[in-house]
Amino acid sequence: MIGESVPMLDSVARVTGAVDYMINLRLPNMLFGKIVRSQAPHAKLLKVDHTNALQVPGVVAILTGEDLGANAFYGVAVKDQGVVAVDRVRYVGEPIAAIAAESLSAAEEAALLIDIEYDELTAVFDSQAAIQAGAPALHEKSPNNIFKHAKLRHGDLDAAFAAADEIFEDTFTSPVAQQASLEPHVSAAQWDGEHLTLWTASQAPFMVRKTLSEILGIAPEAVRVIVPPLGGGYGGKGHIRIEPLVAAMARKTKGRPVKFVLSRAEEFVTVTKHAASITLKTGVKRDGTFTARQVTIYWNGGAYADASPMLVPAGMVRSVGPYRIPAVSVDSYGIYTNLPPAGAYRGAMSSQTTWAYESQMDIIAHKMGWDPLEFRMKNLFVSGEHFATGEELHDVHFVECLEASAKGLGASPSPLTPPPGGEGKRGRGYGVMMKSTVATSKSQARLKLMVDGTVMLYTSTVEMGQGGHTTMAQITAETLGVPLSAIKVIGPDTAITPFDSTTSASRSTSMMGNAVIAACGSMKKKLFELGAPLLETPPDQLRTENGFIVADETSISFGDILKRNNLNELDEAGEYSTSLGLDPETGQGVATPHWHQGAGAAEVEVDPETGRITILRYSAAAFAGRVVNPRMAQLQNDGNVIFGLGPTLMEEILFDGGQPTNPNLADYAIPSIRDIPNELISICIESDKGEMHGIGEMTLPSVAPAIANAIEDAIGVRIKDLPITAEKILQALREKAEK
Amino acid sequence: MIKFLEPTDFSEATSLLDQYAEEAKVIAGGTSVVMMLQQKLIAPSVLISLGRVSNFDFIRHEKDGLHIGALTKLRDLELSEVVKKFCPALAHTFSVVANIRVRNQATIGGNLSAADYAADPPAMLTALDARAQVQGPNEKREIPLSEFFLGFYTTALEPNEILTEVIIPALPSSARAAYHKYTSISAEGRPCVAVGAFADFDPDGKCLDLRIAVGAAVETPQRLMEAEAMAHGHALTDELIAAIAEQYAQALDPLTDVRGSAWYRREMIRVFVKRALQEVRDDR
Repeated sequence: MIGESVPMLDSVARVTGAVDYMINLRLPNMLFGKIVRSQAPHAKLLKVDHTNALQVPGVVAILTGEDLGANAFYGVAVKDQGVVAVDRVRYVGEPIAAIAAESLSAAEEAALLIDIEYDELTAVFDSQAAIQAGAPALHEKSPNNIFKHAKLRHGDLDAAFAAADEIFEDTFTSPVAQQASLEPHVSAAQWDGEHLTLWTASQAPFMVRKTLSEILGIAPEAVRVIVPPLGGGYGGKGHIRIEPLVAAMARKTKGRPVKFVLSRAEEFVTVTKHAASITLKTGVKRDGTFTARQVTIYWNGGAYADASPMLVPAGMVRSVGPYRIPAVSVDSYGIYTNLPPAGAYRGAMSSQTTWAYESQMDIIAHKMGWDPLEFRMKNLFVSGEHFATGEELHDVHFVECLEASAKGLGASPSPLTPPPGGEGKRGRGYGVMMKSTVATSKSQARLKLMVDGTVMLYTSTVEMGQGGHTTMAQITAETLGVPLSAIKVIGPDTAITPFDSTTSASRSTSMMGNAVIAACGSMKKKLFELGAPLLETPPDQLRTENGFIVADETSISFGDILKRNNLNELDEAGEYSTSLGLDPETGQGVATPHWHQGAGAAEVEVDPETGRITILRYSAAAFAGRVVNPRMAQLQNDGNVIFGLGPTLMEEILFDGGQPTNPNLADYAIPSIRDIPNELISICIESDKGEMHGIGEMTLPSVAPAIANAIEDAIGVRIKDLPITAEKILQALREKAEK
Repeated sequence: MIKFLEPTDFSEATSLLDQYAEEAKVIAGGTSVVMMLQQKLIAPSVLISLGRVSNFDFIRHEKDGLHIGALTKLRDLELSEVVKKFCPALAHTFSVVANIRVRNQATIGGNLSAADYAADPPAMLTALDARAQVQGPNEKREIPLSEFFLGFYTTALEPNEILTEVIIPALPSSARAAYHKYTSISAEGRPCVAVGAFADFDPDGKCLDLRIAVGAAVETPQRLMEAEAMAHGHALTDELIAAIAEQYAQALDPLTDVRGSAWYRREMIRVFVKRALQEVRDDR
């Protein structure tokens, strides 16, 4: 069963539109919610008057800062973000009030009648401007606007730079972007006395439960979080978003449920990808080895710390690269600005850091006269070596990934009709990525065997289109020895399904997969014990097959074992967790249970008259450990590349005075079907050790540098600021011609 | 609440429009109006839907040219054998608008009436000297497309008039046309620069007539008669094409938006006027 390309369990429902997405949820007596948002990027709130809004027929209740208690603030480590703004707003789009009404139009009408007076304060939008002396401080506790400074110190940096033959220093930037999942953020809440039920499109139901219990002052068990299948997450639903506001609003509606669906424009102010400026100072020797690397990163966290106190250290670890470098120092700063809060974005932080270190690899190779591929091969980590955190690396396959992706491009250039100008220039480029997953996390799974042989798998892994539930069903079928059709996946529902930290960082196949394997192990053990007397065979001589316990010459179905033992069902649980981490002062320790490894190779053609590029071929290789479902693995690889083309070539939220000017999918372009490379090659590298890895991000972060490197190979210009637009390429070509 | 009215013919539609005047917005396929409603760029209290108006989704090749009913879907125009035979470049123009989901819904009348500068058909239709037939409560009249677009989202339609038909004059058999849409970001995006070109040649390949309309980079589709006249009586050599393209690049005043700066658009006007002219010259 593992290793078979079975279709996604809900593939037909997804295609026909039969999936019960949150957006379709209709509860009896349900009210409609609308959020009133700040028009000012930074201001004191002088007045939030909802007197007139309350008079609108159909309006049931209005939530403002006055309703909030002292605990109504949240954030992963720094609790700086209010359920709605209290006294002060810090970005355009910040929720100031919420309305629950009998109809959406009544809520919208009332929203216009909330009387808000601002006393505008100086705003700052750029992360490096925000840390200058005299910049306005967004939060009292961070007078310099730095809410997190993560440090990695490894080796004698000064001595190592002194030993270098050449030192390179380059800065690479990524702009604010948006996860742009097809399904927006949507949540509904209903109170029954002091018990809350929340339906939400979230990647982390237990994180939502914990946060809501803290904010609302009720026990975690009094909060039930139900997560239907998601229409995409990409990290944008990985942390707390609108859930606190929705729950707080519903507390004022006397038990009636209220549902909020964000518009596309609201999506752009709800969560973003961190803008980043990354400076790499790298020392190399003439023999092609590294001596030292110093990394300085300014992450634009937006107005609230949100998940950044966790992501900024992750970005630190993910900024070094998969190469043998004796001395490494990283300073990773999380900075407040008057932009919407930034959060996880598929390939979190690695999308920005890989752009930097893999671009610089080619800059170095060109300057030193080395072949970019050979330069990488010579320096890539192999198993048994030590990373800059001091940890020993195991199951390392960077060389195989890079070799396979390069080979995937083929020896001959891509056949293609000539571009309109007839003078396209072609080039090839490469990128390799090294990314950590969550260091400390826990997954639990529960199995229930029914008399008819049905196996219920209770899991809080969120199905968001990645095929997570199919993967878990396949692992169950294989490990337990039952047909796939016998398995029914239930969850997530925190009242029913057991704990899981989060569906993110490509951790589920590994972490939840191992919890499922553990649960299957317990279930088998129990079945062997119960079946042994019936089959008159010792438990250690039994095996499972197709829903039966099998001895040498006899067998009995799982269902019959229950019946013969007078049981209606059999319940077993499994758990898998890791508890790792780094020293906060030195960044030394163990960053991750295993490293995400991926590589990409691009062949592009540049139209020198327009600067527009065509990606002829893209070959992506991921280290998968052991592939559960080859077809879905390929789709993840392909999806990574297509998703990665967005920030590489086109995605950027533009702001004017903190106001997004392209908050719609007509002006904010994401890759369309016609932007996909003519040839997409997907490779999964497997390991004989058989450890299952996630593959949801492995081939994404390499896309931008591989394409930039291919462009330089084609026309000799280097772009250091994403996105790589045709206009930037043409400008660079003109500047090169003038020299 | 917006009132949604569904007249069954254009007379009824125009009298409703006359009645509600500025409060009303006409909606056909809705691909433009609905987006503007969602973005709160417009806030009509009445929507006059043309969804129940029949007999205006026609494509007819008549003696005087091609007649297209205003309610014809772009997808039908793209696929129409009549349009392909009349002018392949025109069918091509419709085929590159947005994506198939939009083209299945959007109408030619709606596309032109929206007067969105970042659209494809206006430049090509302007180069083909098309005319818009419009109907008011009392009378019908014709407006040449060259006078139809007045500015951003603004047309020569009176507040109570509706576009009912587009007429493209008959093309000489020796004429050729080309449409070049340049997308600078996503391949499915709106044009950064749109160039519609039409040329007629004598048997020796000398240019008898040339019309080039540049759209998307400027507020409304723009022709430069002086530059066009440079071609009259001459073969379209690379040098002549370059000179005409240079004129367009120099004389037009391009705008800046997410799809490109004014500088970049000027460069792209030069490139795509050139490519469009090369196509009409070479494509026999």
